[in-house]
Amino acid sequence: MAKATKNKVNSQIASVHLTSKIWQTVVAMLGVTFGVSMYIFMNTFMNGVNSTQDDLAFSNLPHIRINNETDQNTYNPAIAMFGGNSLVNIRNRKSIQSENNIRNTAQVMSVLKHQKDISEMTPQLNVSVFFRSGAKKINGTVSGVEADTQDRMFGSAAKVIEGKWSELNYQKPSVILGFVLAQNLGVKVNDNVNILTSDGVSKNYTVAGLIETSVKDVDKSKAYMNIGTTRQLLGKNSDYSSDIMVNLVNRNETSRVKAALQPSLKYNIETWQDANQQLLAASQMRSIIAFAVSFTILLVAGFGIYNIMNMTINEKIREIAILKAMGFSGKDILSIFLMQASIIGLLGAVSGLILGVVLSTLINLVPFKIAGLTTLPIMYKTEDFVLAVLFGMLTTLLAGYLPARKASKIDPVAIIRG
Amino acid sequence: MNKPQERPKALEVSNLVKYFYDPSPFQVLKGVSFDVQKGEFLSIVGKSGSGKSTLLYVLSTMDTDYEGGVTINGQLLTGESQNRLSAFRNEHIGFVFQFHYLLPEFSALENVMIPAKRLGKMSSEEIEHNAYESLRLLDLEDQALKGANRLSGGQQQRVAIARALINKPSVIMGDEPTGNLDSKNSLAVQDIFRNLAHEFGQTIICVTHDNDFARNTDRTIEMQDGLIVNS
Repeated sequence: MAKATKNKVNSQIASVHLTSKIWQTVVAMLGVTFGVSMYIFMNTFMNGVNSTQDDLAFSNLPHIRINNETDQNTYNPAIAMFGGNSLVNIRNRKSIQSENNIRNTAQVMSVLKHQKDISEMTPQLNVSVFFRSGAKKINGTVSGVEADTQDRMFGSAAKVIEGKWSELNYQKPSVILGFVLAQNLGVKVNDNVNILTSDGVSKNYTVAGLIETSVKDVDKSKAYMNIGTTRQLLGKNSDYSSDIMVNLVNRNETSRVKAALQPSLKYNIETWQDANQQLLAASQMRSIIAFAVSFTILLVAGFGIYNIMNMTINEKIREIAILKAMGFSGKDILSIFLMQASIIGLLGAVSGLILGVVLSTLINLVPFKIAGLTTLPIMYKTEDFVLAVLFGMLTTLLAGYLPARKASKIDPVAIIRG
Repeated sequence: MNKPQERPKALEVSNLVKYFYDPSPFQVLKGVSFDVQKGEFLSIVGKSGSGKSTLLYVLSTMDTDYEGGVTINGQLLTGESQNRLSAFRNEHIGFVFQFHYLLPEFSALENVMIPAKRLGKMSSEEIEHNAYESLRLLDLEDQALKGANRLSGGQQQRVAIARALINKPSVIMGDEPTGNLDSKNSLAVQDIFRNLAHEFGQTIICVTHDNDFARNTDRTIEMQDGLIVNS
């Protein structure tokens, strides 16, 4: 009980100090409120932007892509024959066509199946072709895909605006065109389109559907076909593909998975970080900006609190002296003023949380109709709320600690004797 | 020196020496020794600069920068930690200064209750009851719930005295406790002090300029240039 009344008198004094000059307290608190709410707002907005960016990027970017592009032809038969010390001169040397493709798809996929970090994979056969309709000729790419796994990885079915993605399940001469490509060719669903490969093979396909991704370039130049149909177009066997797209359970684990796969595969393994460093850089820079802005606001709030606390202590210096004369220890005085700081911090943090959520919710209502978005993106994460409160409290306590320590060290004799 | 015979000593001071260093080194106390008996009403007089206030603040345990020894209630306080000294002051020493130093945002009653709450030896109800008793003793019962900053100067000073009494300290120290009071109030306070000393055995030590006040006490110590010249 003794300790209880003792602490109670400290908190009573602290609360009287806070309430007797309520405006000062409110101003000090508002600093923290703005800091915390800006922290929440900036971070939820940046999270929203980052996550939208990632969603857009990963709608056609796999976490890991396996292909055969490393095959730089360094084999020199003359050197192999005569050894490196011989002087060899071959004039007008010609290279033979090297295959930039995966010729043992089934084998590679069975190796991948043993990796438990992999959540999804799909083979693709990407070919540059000309699309022709009447006299119109547009160059672009055909992606031969396995309809099911492709849809699971990239959500392609949901992007088909006319016709059905499931048309690609079977090996039949149908194609799903990017909707801009279809417009440019002047074809509609169920019309025919002619496809011409670089080897001069030309074949007619029925337009089974139109697809709209959020990437204009894709919509303008890409078409999807069944992978078997595509192999047939190229005259290749059923183990032939150009890329194997792999998604991981956690997309940040790419480097570890790459290291695990590298020894057993002789192909090029490209992670999304390698392929799209700008994505990573942009999201990291946005995080830094968000942190810098909210940190600055909290810092300013901290100075405000420091000033107000200092003022209070200078005003109350005689009262502090008499409290010490009556037997309040330095620790009691410290706790009285730290209590004030932490109440300011706590109130500021809580009202900041509320204001932050309100701001974020309002921003989330602002229309923004670009790249498949309808409003500005916002994404709430628990850790942001925890960190915001933590930073807010920490700033206040730090800002309150210095004046409080000064108060606790006041020499009552010097004040009372004048 | 007036050595006590039978009664227990409330306070013993031996060979106090103290220097001020600012603005230039200066010896304020030059070896002061005396004892105070329990229940004695003592005044310390002297011209300004004689070291009487400095002596009081050393006795108060707030000023620890001195040489020599201070013992209160048989407990040697020289060299104790600040925290122990705070706790000791809270329980055993009451202060009355020339200025009241009340907390302006609190009522008279709350001001009186604060030291008891800090001590924390009684329940809030008992503390409130005792605070009313103290206020009644100083004829302030009807002002109890008024804000401290709305009382008159004399009332404020009497609240400060009530506050000094709340923990029933064994020693009450005053630095010109009646300096801001008119003669009627001053006399009332002197009566209260004498009563506390003689009825309740509380020891009172007051620094004063007021010769009437000093004449009213049991014993007067006169200081001059850092030494006791007459006691």
